[in-house]
Amino acid sequence: MFKQVDTQDLETVEVVVDGEPRKLQAGISVMAALLADGELNSRLSPTSGKPCGPHCLMGVCFECLMEIDGIQRQACTTEIEKEMVINRHLSETGENSHE
Amino acid sequence: MSKCYDVVIIGAGPAGINAGATLAEMGLQVVLLDEQQSLGGQIYRNISHASAELLADMGAEYQRGRELVARFEQSGAGHEPGATVWHVEADGHVYYSKEGTSHQLKANYVLVATGAMERPVPFPGWNLPGVMGAGAVNNLAKEAGLVPDCEVALVGSGPLLLLEASLLIKKGVRISTILETTPKLPPLTAVAKLPPALKRMDFLTKGLKMVSEIKRSGAEHYKGVTKIKALGKERVETVEAYSDSEQLHFPAGLLLTHFGVIPNTHIFRLIGCHLEWNQEQRYWFPKADQWGRTNFEKIFAAGDGAGVRGALAAEYRGELAALELARCLGVIPTYERDLLARPIREAILHDHHPRPFVDAVYAPLFSKETLDKDTVLCRCEQVRVQDVRKAVQEGVRDVNEVKIVTRCGMGPCQGRMCGPALAEVMAAELSAPPERMGTLTVRPPLKPIPLEEVATMELEGSAAQPADLFKNQSK
Repeated sequence: MFKQVDTQDLETVEVVVDGEPRKLQAGISVMAALLADGELNSRLSPTSGKPCGPHCLMGVCFECLMEIDGIQRQACTTEIEKEMVINRHLSETGENSHE
Repeated sequence: MSKCYDVVIIGAGPAGINAGATLAEMGLQVVLLDEQQSLGGQIYRNISHASAELLADMGAEYQRGRELVARFEQSGAGHEPGATVWHVEADGHVYYSKEGTSHQLKANYVLVATGAMERPVPFPGWNLPGVMGAGAVNNLAKEAGLVPDCEVALVGSGPLLLLEASLLIKKGVRISTILETTPKLPPLTAVAKLPPALKRMDFLTKGLKMVSEIKRSGAEHYKGVTKIKALGKERVETVEAYSDSEQLHFPAGLLLTHFGVIPNTHIFRLIGCHLEWNQEQRYWFPKADQWGRTNFEKIFAAGDGAGVRGALAAEYRGELAALELARCLGVIPTYERDLLARPIREAILHDHHPRPFVDAVYAPLFSKETLDKDTVLCRCEQVRVQDVRKAVQEGVRDVNEVKIVTRCGMGPCQGRMCGPALAEVMAAELSAPPERMGTLTVRPPLKPIPLEEVATMELEGSAAQPADLFKNQSK
């Protein structure tokens, strides 16, 4: 859904996304790095249980709220760092996702 | 102990950067707090690391940010990147979170330059993944060099919608349609405002060039559309709308929305600054004098957060605020402030000529028909338009009461996404002006932070105990 236009000297970082190790683009926000790698979903809505995607990418909408290193943070204002543990809890249902 | 500054500036867009540079050049102790990692705000996002290709794509307006950032970096002003401000007190205390730790600062003056945000306009399906702000995609290009590689549809109103469309066309992105809610013919109020705009033919020519580029691209372009709907199962797939009675249906791998921009007033509301209502643009902005001073002596406002006038005006208004702050701090006398302010005020006037016309052409429209009853108004709490209408029919008259009854605005975004539309829904239901519905109360923390961070923070002054920060929050 998104492609990288400046592919020269792209650095990557190794992170863990939803329990799987992954190499993502470095030097950008967590959400941008996920979008660059083909991911559109950021979380399940705790109220409707349906998947959410980022909407504003400037820290306003809180749709990209996800668990980053154990804390619920806005993925669009959090810079990606190596060894980050990112959990979107996309497969959870009901009470588990209602935090 | 908290650190003490002459001025703490919140927001590293054109207003904040320019104010910071001006104050630091005069030898004042200044720190600029900003959520992003690099200076620039939304308009000049990532300007320091922008590739030559990006600089060329974004044009001269974007490149201007480089000089601004360079000046700031040489000025000696402090910069705290990655700092999320979560509380500001009228006495000059500022609290922010950075890398998992919260800090308290004390400032003689606080300049709030938090800029603008895209006006959130709910429509059915706007909460599907793949429906994004046009500004979001613009940010992805600036920050990460990402462009859509699917078919894109754009909906909404305003010059920035067309600007984003033309940028995408330049990048070779396929655009299935541009659906403007702007009326086919400009309103009479706009025609009357055309003469001053003609003083800035450079500006108008650029707009016309943009429109002709869009036309040449072959993208289907409609004006005056109504009843926009985003459709799809797990994510947006198509967009539907009406042009007169004709039903339109277009593919949308991504659906980009833009309905103009409004000031980001959360900090002003938290502090308790007096707000004013902009009747034509239908938004709240902080009441301030010609230098940006709010009703609180220590709290100043500059840039689009103090009323939307664009990046250049924000830069100038940041400098005006800095001049008055320098006077208050005893660095320059009144006559020098006035002397230095004169050319800035002239530049503001020159920049302002086309704005009343453009604002009138793209004035936001709201009526009872604008919002479908099943539309999710509050994305965080999944409150629908009909839930709010029901509360109003039962006699609720204030947005904060609706919030209590329906949970609209109670989620993590604290009403940033639903607040403006909530007032519009209520006003339409009551046939009353939206400003009569009030504004959602904003409380600390401005953004969710772990309690642990608050508890371990070193504090002084009025908030000797962390718990005091959240005391007496009811009015």
